Amino acid sequence: MRLPARPLGRVSGWLLSLLGAAVATGCASDAELDTFAPQGPIARELHSRGVLPVFWIAAVVLVGITVAMVWLIWRNRVKNYEGDDEWPAQTHGHVPLEVGWTVGFFVTMAAVAGIMLWSLPTVDATETNLMGVTVDDRSVEWEPTVVVVGNQWWWEFRYYFSDQVDLADLRAHGDAKTLPPADIVTSGQMVIPTGEEVELILTSRDVIHSFWIPALNGKRDAVPNRFSPWKIEASDPGFYFGQCTEFCGLSHSRMRMQVVALTPADFQSWVDDTTQDAVEPADPAALAGLEVFSGICTSCHVIEGVNDDVFESADQASGAAPNLTHLASRSTFAGGIFNLYNADGSLNRVQLEAWLRNPGDLKANYTVPGKQYRGMPDLDLSEQQIDDLVAYLAGLGNRPADWIIEATQVE
Amino acid sequence: MAITEKTPLELGPGDTARYVERPLGVFTRPQGGRGWRDWLSTVDHKRIGILYGASAMFFFVVGGVEALLIRLQLAAPEGSVLSADVYNQVYTMHGVTMVFLFIMPLAAAFANYFIPLQIGARDVAFPRLNALSYWIWLSGAIFLNTSWIVGGGGADCGWFCYATNSGVAFSPSHGVDFYAIGLQILGIASLVSSINLIVTCLNMRAPGMTLMRMPVLTWMLLITQFLLLFALPVITVALFLLMFDRLFDAQFFNPDAGADPLLWQHLFWIFGHPEVYIIILPAFGVVSEIIPTFSRKPLFGYEFMVFSGIAIGFMGWGVWAHHMFVSGIGPISVAAFSLSTMFIAVPTGVKVLNWLATMWGGRLRFTVAMKFAVATVAMFTIGGLSGVTHSVAPADTQQTDTYYIVAHFHYVIFGGGVLGLFAGLYFWWPKVWGHFLNERLGNWNFWIMLVGFNLTFGPMHILGLQGMSRRIDTYARGYGFEFWNMAATVGSLLIAVSVVVFMWNVVKSKRDAPHLPPPGPDPWDARSLEWSIPSPVPEHNFDTVPQVHGRDDWWHNKYAENDEGTVVRVATVEEAAQTGEATGVHLPSPSFWPLAVAVGLPLIGYGLIFNLWLALIGALLTIASLYSWAMEPVDDPDATHDHHDDEATEGSSTEGDQP
Amino acid sequence: MSAEPLVADHGHAADEDGHDEHATTTGLSHTKLAMWVFLGSECLLFGGLISTYLLYKTRGNGRTLPTDVFDIPFTSVSSFVLLMSSLTMVLALSAVSRGEDEAGRTWLLATALLGGIFIGGQVYEFTTFVREGVAFTTNPASSAFFTLTGFHGVHVSLGIVMLMSLFVASVKGKLTQRNAETVEIVGLYWHFVDIVWIFIFTVIYLIPAD
Repeated sequence: MRLPARPLGRVSGWLLSLLGAAVATGCASDAELDTFAPQGPIARELHSRGVLPVFWIAAVVLVGITVAMVWLIWRNRVKNYEGDDEWPAQTHGHVPLEVGWTVGFFVTMAAVAGIMLWSLPTVDATETNLMGVTVDDRSVEWEPTVVVVGNQWWWEFRYYFSDQVDLADLRAHGDAKTLPPADIVTSGQMVIPTGEEVELILTSRDVIHSFWIPALNGKRDAVPNRFSPWKIEASDPGFYFGQCTEFCGLSHSRMRMQVVALTPADFQSWVDDTTQDAVEPADPAALAGLEVFSGICTSCHVIEGVNDDVFESADQASGAAPNLTHLASRSTFAGGIFNLYNADGSLNRVQLEAWLRNPGDLKANYTVPGKQYRGMPDLDLSEQQIDDLVAYLAGLGNRPADWIIEATQVE
Repeated sequence: MAITEKTPLELGPGDTARYVERPLGVFTRPQGGRGWRDWLSTVDHKRIGILYGASAMFFFVVGGVEALLIRLQLAAPEGSVLSADVYNQVYTMHGVTMVFLFIMPLAAAFANYFIPLQIGARDVAFPRLNALSYWIWLSGAIFLNTSWIVGGGGADCGWFCYATNSGVAFSPSHGVDFYAIGLQILGIASLVSSINLIVTCLNMRAPGMTLMRMPVLTWMLLITQFLLLFALPVITVALFLLMFDRLFDAQFFNPDAGADPLLWQHLFWIFGHPEVYIIILPAFGVVSEIIPTFSRKPLFGYEFMVFSGIAIGFMGWGVWAHHMFVSGIGPISVAAFSLSTMFIAVPTGVKVLNWLATMWGGRLRFTVAMKFAVATVAMFTIGGLSGVTHSVAPADTQQTDTYYIVAHFHYVIFGGGVLGLFAGLYFWWPKVWGHFLNERLGNWNFWIMLVGFNLTFGPMHILGLQGMSRRIDTYARGYGFEFWNMAATVGSLLIAVSVVVFMWNVVKSKRDAPHLPPPGPDPWDARSLEWSIPSPVPEHNFDTVPQVHGRDDWWHNKYAENDEGTVVRVATVEEAAQTGEATGVHLPSPSFWPLAVAVGLPLIGYGLIFNLWLALIGALLTIASLYSWAMEPVDDPDATHDHHDDEATEGSSTEGDQP
Repeated sequence: MSAEPLVADHGHAADEDGHDEHATTTGLSHTKLAMWVFLGSECLLFGGLISTYLLYKTRGNGRTLPTDVFDIPFTSVSSFVLLMSSLTMVLALSAVSRGEDEAGRTWLLATALLGGIFIGGQVYEFTTFVREGVAFTTNPASSAFFTLTGFHGVHVSLGIVMLMSLFVASVKGKLTQRNAETVEIVGLYWHFVDIVWIFIFTVIYLIPAD
C-alpha cells in the first residue's frame, strides 16, 4: 500500500509549475509528510477548501503587486541620475483611489474569511459513527475514538471499547497520568479502521506535543492538563507518517508516529490479537529474556500478563513508558524512529541491540541519575542479556503484514 | 526648548552655586568630550543611537553565527554538527538574539537618532533616562549571553519558551533562568525608552510641527513605542510567573497542581504579536522616507499611511491567538482570531499600494538605499501574503510549526524588517558620519543579500508544505527534504557574505572618506528636517529651532510649485541649511549614573540564580546609583564647555522660512 | 517593571527657567506626561496579574484556596485606610500648592503613614494565610494571589519611599510651592495604586469563588 513515488512531492510540483521553474534533479522522494497529498476525506476537504483557494488568492495578489512593481521600476527608472534636475508631477494622494483599494482589500479578505468559515467545520465538527467491534467475544458498538497521550518522546494510543471514554468526562475529571485502564494500549503506531472518522482525544503527561499526520488531517497540540478533540480518517488501507510538531525538548525531532489504516475486517483481527495478554515464551533464550525483563525493565515498561497488575508508575517525568505487550506487532520502535523489521521482513536486530546497549547513543535523552528520567537510561546490560531480551521482545505479538513492514522503510 | 531635563527640586532659578558638594563624593562629574570615556557618560541622543546601532550589529553577527550553525546542522539529513541539546540552545538563542538584541535595538538606534532630528528637537525628553535605557539594554544583552558560560548553556526552550517545557524538570540548566531574567532586564530598557520617546514625540516638537506634519518614520516609531509600552508589561508578567516557578517553586505552570500551560501562551503572544509590529513598523517608516526621496515625489497618501500604521497598531492587539490555532482553544476563539487576523491585512495592503503609488510617475533613482527599500516592499509582500494563507485557521493546522511558518516570518522580519533597516543605514549613513557608504560595495551587499535571502527562506516554503517540522535538530532521509535544505544552507552562507561585504563597506568608506567630497547637509535632495543641518550632525542638532510650516518642510525650503504644478527651486541647500556654528546652546551634562544603575541589574539577576547575597549587592548598587542620580543636577555648574547661554537659543524663526 | 528610573526623576520637577510648562508641545511637563504614560503601561501589568489570578482562583490542587481564608472585614478596614490615604494625598498637594509647607508636610506624612498601615496589614494578612495553610507554593491559586497582592504591595511601598523623599525635601526647605508639581506627580502614582487596589479588592476579595 505504498504511495506511488512522485519525483518531488506535490507541494514542490505545485509551486514549481506555478513558478515555471524546474529544479527536480537529485531530489526524488516519497515525501510522506507532504501536506499537499491528502489521503483521507478530512484532509482532502481541508486541502481543497481551506488551503488551495487562499493560495490562489494570495498568488494572484502577489503576481499583481509584483508585476506592478516591476513595471514601475522599468518604466520610471532614471538610469543616470547624476545631474538630473527634473521633478515629476508632485501628486500627494488621491482619496477615492485610497478608499478604492481599502475596500478592495477588504472585499478580498472578506472572501478569505468566507473560505475560512466554510472550511472550519471540516477539521472541527465530528460525526457520530458507531462501528461494531468484537472484544473478548463480546460485540460492542464502538464510536471510533483513540485517546492519544504525548510523552517525551513517544506517543501512547489507548483504545477503550468496553468503557468508552467521553471527552466532557475526561475534561471534568481526567488526569493524563492516571487514565482508566484501556482495552488496548500501544505506542508509536496507531491502528485505525478505514472509512471511519476516528476521534482523537489528545493530552500529554509532561510537555506540550503536537499530533500531526499530514495525509489525514492537520495537527493539534497535546497539552498537559487539557483534553483536546481532533479527528482523522483514512480512505484506504495504508501507512501514514507523522512527526511531533510542537517543540517538546531534547529529542523533539525524534518523536515520530505512524497511522496504520486497516480494513474493518483487518482491524477486527488486529483487535483480537492485541487484546490478548502476552503468553509465556517456550524458547529458552526468550525465557531468559523474560527473566531479564522482569528484573530490570518492569520498573518502567508494562507487559500485560507479566506486570500489569503490580505496575504503578514509571521512573520518568511522564510517569510512563511504552507498553510492550505487542511490541512485535508494530513495525517501528523507540518513538517511531527505528524500523523493527528490515525490508526483507527479518528483525532489525542491529538497531534493537544497539538501542538496548545504550538508548542515549541513538536518541538524545536526559537520564542523569538522581533526577527524573526523560527517555530510556543506559541499563548496563551484558551482551548475553541483550541477546536474551531481543529473543523475548521479538516474540511479543504477531509480526505485522509485509506491506506494513515495507511501508515503514522510509529510505 | 533648549532645556530638556529638569533640575532637581533643590535648585531654584539662579541658585546653582549653592550646589557645591559632589553626589556621594565618589566620582568626578564627567565633562563633555570626544574620548572613549565620554561614550560611557554621554546623554546625547545621537551618540546613544550610535551605541544602540553598533551593539545591534555586533549581536547581528552573534545571531548570524547561530543561524549558520543551524543551517550547517540542517544542510543534510542526520546532521551531526551540533548535538540535539546544543542545537536547541542555538536555535533558541538565535531567535532571542535576533529579536531582542539585533532588530529591536537597531530600530531603537533609528528612533533615538532621528526622532529628535525629525521633530526639530535638541534631544529627547529625558537624556539621562535615554542613556539608562541603552546601558540597561546592554547589560541585559550581556547577561543573557553569559548563560553560555556560567549558566550551563543557553536557554533551550525556543524564544517562545512554552510551559511546561520551560520548567525546571524539563530544562534543568540555568539557561531558562537567564532567559526569564535577561528578558526582564531588556524589558526595563525598552519600557524606559518607550516612555522617553513618547514624551519626546508628544512634547518636544518644534513650533508648527503638528502631529500630522511629522515624518512617517517618526510616526511609525511613535506607534512602535506605544506598542512597546503596552506589550512589555504583559511579557513581564509572564516572565515573573516563569521565574517564580523556576526559582521559588510557584505553581503557575505545574499541570500536576492544576495549572494551565496555555496561560503562558496567551501572555506570551499578547506581547508577542504586537512585537511583530514593533519589529516591522520602524522599517515601514524607513521605507516611507526613502521611496519618496528617490522617487522625487511626496509620499502618496500621507494620511492613509499614518492611519494604516495606527490601525495596524490597534488591530495588532486582537490577533494574538492566531499563534494558538492548534492549541485547543475552541472553535469559536479560533474563528474569531482567524477573522481578526485577516482584516489586519487590509491596512498592511494599503501601505504597500501607497508605496507603489509613490513610485508611480516618479523619477526613480536606484541608489543602494532605494534598492533596499523597494526590495523591502517586495519581500514583505511575499511574507504578508504567506501570512494570509495561514490566517485561514484550518489551513494553519497543516502549516503551523512547519518550515512554512519559518519562511513566512523570515520574509516579514528579514525581508521586511532587516532589509528595511539596511535601507535606512545606507540612506542616513552620510547624515550620521559625514561620509557616504560606498555605492559599488553597497550594490554587491544588496544583490548578494537579496539572492541569499531568497535562496535561504524561499525553499523553506516548500519544505514546510512538504511537512518539515520546525525546531527539529535533524531529519531523516527520504522525506524529500534534502535538496531544499541544502539550497537554504547555501543561501545562508550568501547572506553571511553580504554582511561581510557590508562590514567591509563600513571600513572602506571611512578610510576613503578624506579623499572624497563631503556629502553636505542634504546629499539626497531629501525632505525632512534632519537634512537641514550639517552632516555629521552637530552636538546641539539645530542652531535655531526650526519653525515648521507644513509637511516635508525642509523640501519646501528648497523648492516651490508654480501655478502649472512645476517644481521650481527657490533656494540651494547651502542657502537653506543651517551651518551648525551656533554657540551658547545649552545642553544637558553627561552622567555616569545611568551606567552604574545598569551594572546593578545583572548582578541582581545572577544573585537570584546563584546566590541571593549577590542580588543584595546588585540591589544596593542600583539603589545607591539611583539616589546619586536623583541628587545630581541635570546641568553641571562646573561644566567647562561654553554652552551656557540660554537666551541665544530661544529664537524660533529660521532663515529658511517658506516663501 | 521597575518604577525606579521614574522615581529618580521625580526629583526634577522644578524647572530651572520656570517656563517649561509653556515650552512643551502639549503644555504638560515632560515628567507629568511621562508619569501618565508609565501608568498606562502599569494598567497592563496589573491587568495581566489580575487575569492570572482570575484564571487560577479555584485551582487549589486539593488544598486550601486563598478564598477560603480571606478575612473580608479585616481587609475592608485596610482597604479603607488606603482609600483615605488618597484623600490625604489630595490635601498634601493642595497645601503645598498654596505654599503651606507645614500643612503639606503633615499630609505627606499622614499619607505615607496610612500607606504604611496598609502594608503592615498586608504583612499580617500574609503571615496569617501562611499559618492557615495558604503559602506561596501551595497551589496555582495561592501563587497567583501572593504574586498579585505582592506586586501591589511593592508598588505601595515604592510610593511610601517617594512620599518620604518629598517629606525630607520639605523639611530641608527644598519643597516649595514652585515644586508643587512634583507632589502632583507622586500623587498621580499614589492614586493609581489606590485605584488598582479598589479593583483588586472588589474582584479578588468580594466576588466569591464558585
